Amino acid sequence: MNMTKLNFAQRGWILQSRIFKNLKKDFLIEFRNRSAVNISFAFAGITTLSVSLACGGATLSPQIHSVLLWIIIFFSGMSGLSHIFIREEEERTSLFLALHSDPENVYLSKLIFNILLFTCITALVTPLYLFFMQVFPGYTVYFILTAAAGSLAISSITTILGAMVAKADSRGSLFTVISFPVMIPVLWISIQLTSDSLEGGAPPELRSLLFLLAFSGVIISVSYLAFKFIWTEQ
Amino acid sequence: MTLYRLVFIFMPAVICMAFILAPPAAILGDASRILYFHVPVAWVSVVAFIVSGIQSILFLVSENKRKEREFMAYNSAAAGMVFTILTVITGSIWAKLSWGSYWNWDPRETSIVVLMLIYIAYLSLYSSLKEHPNRGGISAVYLIIAMITMPFLVFIIPRVYLSLHPDTIINREGKIHLEAAMRITLFSSIVTFTLLYGYIYRLMNRISRLEIKAEEKHYDI
Repeated sequence: MNMTKLNFAQRGWILQSRIFKNLKKDFLIEFRNRSAVNISFAFAGITTLSVSLACGGATLSPQIHSVLLWIIIFFSGMSGLSHIFIREEEERTSLFLALHSDPENVYLSKLIFNILLFTCITALVTPLYLFFMQVFPGYTVYFILTAAAGSLAISSITTILGAMVAKADSRGSLFTVISFPVMIPVLWISIQLTSDSLEGGAPPELRSLLFLLAFSGVIISVSYLAFKFIWTEQ
Repeated sequence: MTLYRLVFIFMPAVICMAFILAPPAAILGDASRILYFHVPVAWVSVVAFIVSGIQSILFLVSENKRKEREFMAYNSAAAGMVFTILTVITGSIWAKLSWGSYWNWDPRETSIVVLMLIYIAYLSLYSSLKEHPNRGGISAVYLIIAMITMPFLVFIIPRVYLSLHPDTIINREGKIHLEAAMRITLFSSIVTFTLLYGYIYRLMNRISRLEIKAEEKHYDI
């Protein structure tokens, strides 16, 4: 949204809104103590470099390249996306947040944070992978759209599952266990679409891209409705 | 409970029908008889999953019988898990007989494995929330989210990607490509396995109710 075109009242409303405030708070906390964000980015970078080093020089098919790329993206997401809710539980601020904001506002602010964080991670991993593995997509626009739609779907799933895991014991391993089955359709379609766009033969199917967007839409809608049952004790 | 007890009559009858009444299929021969066990257990795994999902939705929207709905969702998932494992086993035996290998990562095989992983994930989440007061609510939301994923896997992906799997009962043409005797046996088997699931599920619920009563009595003392 272009802030300069809005009048003072509208800008004030946006600034005052709880979503924006929560988002601002999350960014301030994360950038004050950058360890979690740094670890996420470092994990993504190191995994990409390790894979590139191990496969360096080998001629791999577009299918293998897309599998490796999405495995890196998936585990980078696993390492960082549940953090936003786990931090609230570990620092014991979740109760205060529950009193201060509606569950819907909390969910939307955390979702936006995760989408932004994961888009940054994907934007780091993908060019690094392409550069080190020396692969170039045949359909660049489709490739970028797939990465963006896949990242949106992964962040929408991990936000709601991160909220669940934050309440449980043995959080780290549980997050991967509960995320993987729900994420398989996304990974499956993304791998296929990335492989097609890397190969550059027949143009990739638009309906697969729509599938990813529809999937994200459904997950976000249901999560928005069901979040209050996780966030507040029944 | 009386209705579900019919399983004791129907199950031996269905086994006899599968091995005696139904004729062998044209190419697979006697190996095709696994159809009368594989399809019903696959059906029951999906039914159990839907029952779990419905109980979870009722848990969230209704204030009544919350404890009961929580264990009813859990019990259906636990029973469904067993039927899903049976589906995977019978399916891989059938795959070996017809395609030559136990596992091919066919879209249909993958979708049933994902269903199994969802059950495993749900049971893991449920057990790790043991001490949490909102255990029922959190695990119910997980089941609902997982239930939304299933249509994408079961109905969309196998229709988008090529599958070696034979046409399902709910196919594009809306026709069942089976002889009359085979069709009767298959549907009898589906009904019988559904009754078996219902019988097991009700027993599990009774046990859970007794456990809760015993627990409450223990606290009263």
